Amino acid sequence: MKILVAIKQVPERDAPVRIGASGKWIEEADLQFALNEPDAYALEEALQLKDKHGGEVVAVSAGPERVGSTLREALAKGADRAIHIVCDDLGERDALGVARLLAGAIKPEDPDLVLTGLQSEDLGHGQTGVIVAELLGLPHATLILHVEKTETGIKAKREMEEGWFQFIETSTPAVLTMQSGGNKLRYATLMGIKRAKTKEMRQIAAAELGADATPTAVLESIVLPQKKKSTQMLSGSPKEAAAALVEKLKAEARVL
Amino acid sequence: MISLYPTPAEPQHFSISEELLFAILAVLSIYAFWRRFSPILDRILKSKKDPDFHLKPIGKRIRDFLWEVLCQAKVIRQRPLPGLAHAFVFWAFCAFLLVSLNHCATLFGAGFLNPAGDLGRLYFYLAAIFALACAIGIAGLFARRFLVRPRWLGEKLSWESGLIALLIFILMVTYLAAFFIPDTSPAAHALWWTHTLTLLAFLPVIPHTKHLHLVLSPVTVFLSRGSFSRIPPLAGDEDFGLVAGGDLTQIVSLQAYSCVECGRCTEHCPANNTGKLLNPKEIVLGLRGYLNEYGPASEQPLLGKYNAQEAVFQCTTCGACEFQCPVGIEHVPILVGLRRGAVNTGAWEDEHGGKLFLALERGSNALGLSTAERDRFIEKNALPIFDGSQEYCLWLGCMGAYDPKGREIVLDLVRVLNHLGTSYGVLRKEKCTGDPVRRLGNDLLFQQLAESNLDALAQNKVKKMISICPHCVRTIQEDWKEYGQPPAIEHHSEFLSRHLSQLQPAQNKQKIVFHDPCYLGRYRNVYDEPRSVAALAGQLVEAPRSRERSFCCGAGGGLAFLGEETGERVSHKRAAELAATGAEVIAAGCPFCNTMFRDALAARGDGAPQLVDIAQLAARGLPRSGAS
Repeated sequence: MKILVAIKQVPERDAPVRIGASGKWIEEADLQFALNEPDAYALEEALQLKDKHGGEVVAVSAGPERVGSTLREALAKGADRAIHIVCDDLGERDALGVARLLAGAIKPEDPDLVLTGLQSEDLGHGQTGVIVAELLGLPHATLILHVEKTETGIKAKREMEEGWFQFIETSTPAVLTMQSGGNKLRYATLMGIKRAKTKEMRQIAAAELGADATPTAVLESIVLPQKKKSTQMLSGSPKEAAAALVEKLKAEARVL
Repeated sequence: MISLYPTPAEPQHFSISEELLFAILAVLSIYAFWRRFSPILDRILKSKKDPDFHLKPIGKRIRDFLWEVLCQAKVIRQRPLPGLAHAFVFWAFCAFLLVSLNHCATLFGAGFLNPAGDLGRLYFYLAAIFALACAIGIAGLFARRFLVRPRWLGEKLSWESGLIALLIFILMVTYLAAFFIPDTSPAAHALWWTHTLTLLAFLPVIPHTKHLHLVLSPVTVFLSRGSFSRIPPLAGDEDFGLVAGGDLTQIVSLQAYSCVECGRCTEHCPANNTGKLLNPKEIVLGLRGYLNEYGPASEQPLLGKYNAQEAVFQCTTCGACEFQCPVGIEHVPILVGLRRGAVNTGAWEDEHGGKLFLALERGSNALGLSTAERDRFIEKNALPIFDGSQEYCLWLGCMGAYDPKGREIVLDLVRVLNHLGTSYGVLRKEKCTGDPVRRLGNDLLFQQLAESNLDALAQNKVKKMISICPHCVRTIQEDWKEYGQPPAIEHHSEFLSRHLSQLQPAQNKQKIVFHDPCYLGRYRNVYDEPRSVAALAGQLVEAPRSRERSFCCGAGGGLAFLGEETGERVSHKRAAELAATGAEVIAAGCPFCNTMFRDALAARGDGAPQLVDIAQLAARGLPRSGAS
């Protein structure tokens, strides 16, 4: 089974984000970047399928030079080779624009399965994977926890609301967007990193793919969430505290 | 009628056939010795070279050799009675080197110790004193092994030990008996031959099993790694730690063959004492078994037939085994080496271990919390940010920044620092030092954490650091050296003990027991400083196992993060021992010990002693308003 895993490099989870001068994107200069978590689960699922059935896992990512480190991490964890779509304007492209890049790089690979995280931790559109499927003309499903190979294709476990699961079957090739938490992620190892040095990492310039970079949706501005909640401790006897609470609910919160 | 002669009997004349017989037997004996010894020597020499081994500083090696081998200091100090018995056997052997050579030489009329001369006589008398002490000693050791049978000597009785004891006893007795017969007596001949045959029988037994330590352990002690629990760097792109036979270095192989199976390591091992699989003695003997079966070039995994992965990951790296070992075996680098082999190749799968690694791959602290928690703690308590103008960088560590008890300790230390007028600041960003992943064998993650931290410290121009955590102190000062030059760092007990005169004793004196953290005591040799600080708040009592014999809290080696233990919890055993001293206060010097005992004491219910850090005891005498 040949599996392509589309991954994204995003700011580290605890990174202190600041808004850049344009007001349209964050200041990237001092940030540390990491692999988008749902993509890490997509990679893990791909590696487990390869462990079971053999085949090849190829990691693909779009972004500037720094994305190379995240692709190397994927190689270190067990991907066989990597494709880096070099593009410095990723932030200016919308989900369709990014999906065009990915689909352009994936198509000639002719994979049996394309896996990616269901959304990114920075923008969280949750669209890219689905659009890639549409552009490739492949069946797709979202919110997948596990994938099993069947005689004719694949069977996938899909997460629903309130603890319900749906099992779906489809033919391959197909595109699945993966939910976090379905597997235990493997840790990066020294041996993996050393072996990754000898694995192929192919760079493709975004322009080579001929994808239209004109966004259909334009990001006007971004803002940091404002801290609004504040906690007040009410002192006094329970009776006094209750009276004070009622007063506040009436006068300040205006819910009574 | 028995009479004592001034010199031991020496037969006056030997026949040619006697000389011939001796020559044949001597050649046979030496041949039998070499036949067994040479393959062992071959396996040691054919092992991989130790990439970082240096003979320098040679002075320390000579000192250690004199103290531990010739003086038998560790052997005696850690097990006084059997230790002394062993020391007498050893010293007698040293004295008998000349005596035995002379003994054989007399056969050819070439004796060089003249029994009639003053010097010769003096030497024979000296040897006689040692022979007597040795005979008593070996009889005592025989009784201990075969009658008392302490658990750590192993369940199986070793018949070779009995044979060796018997041969030594005969050697000593035949030497002493020679003082009771005249030179001319035919008994002198018989005695000479008994002594000689015993000597020739003894030689081939040496390379068999543990008695090899006679030959190897002096070399092992001399060729140590140079410092306690030193984890060697990995060499080259194909070195992932101890994976297979080809990874065993000459030092490891030498140590594996040096083990004398005394079981001191097992006796002091916290894992073994709480019903776990790990037995440090068996780890070393497992490597020996591996070398005997597969040899040093084998690709057979080291964790398998002879050593279990489960056991290797039960080690708290407390170092009690290594500290106790009288023949210079360094267990911690071996155990960590086996873990490196398993983790660096991805062979170790553990739910909690995997979580810890991922938390540190993606985040900054071993507790897996958001750095915003640390920022809030710093902000709420108005801790100054280090800007290069302060004297100390106060290293918070994961426990000091995120753990509620660790934070209390930091805040009390801060009160003391303010009282003393010492300037300090904390870093805006700090990552785990990598201690738990270093000891669990994850070199990739450790390198990333060490380099990232070294970078941050260099950028902030930090020169001096202070920390409440002995694990941070050890890792920063010793382990980071592999990746750069860390600033000087000390544990807060060392700092506080230097400022005792400026601290006020607490009003309310209590009975306090200080628990020596492994990474402060055995790893850093700091024992008196924390005690002097604790004494500010009361009367110190000692636990039965204290100072260099202290018993681990169970947290070290990354085990604090690995979830439930099998068998009894190490922390419960130690907490019970500390509580049994009758102390009202248990004082620790490590936030990990603190958190382990907090849970263990809570399980004991009411009436358990109060648990504090020494910084908190130092802060007790300060005026409550505190702020400087």
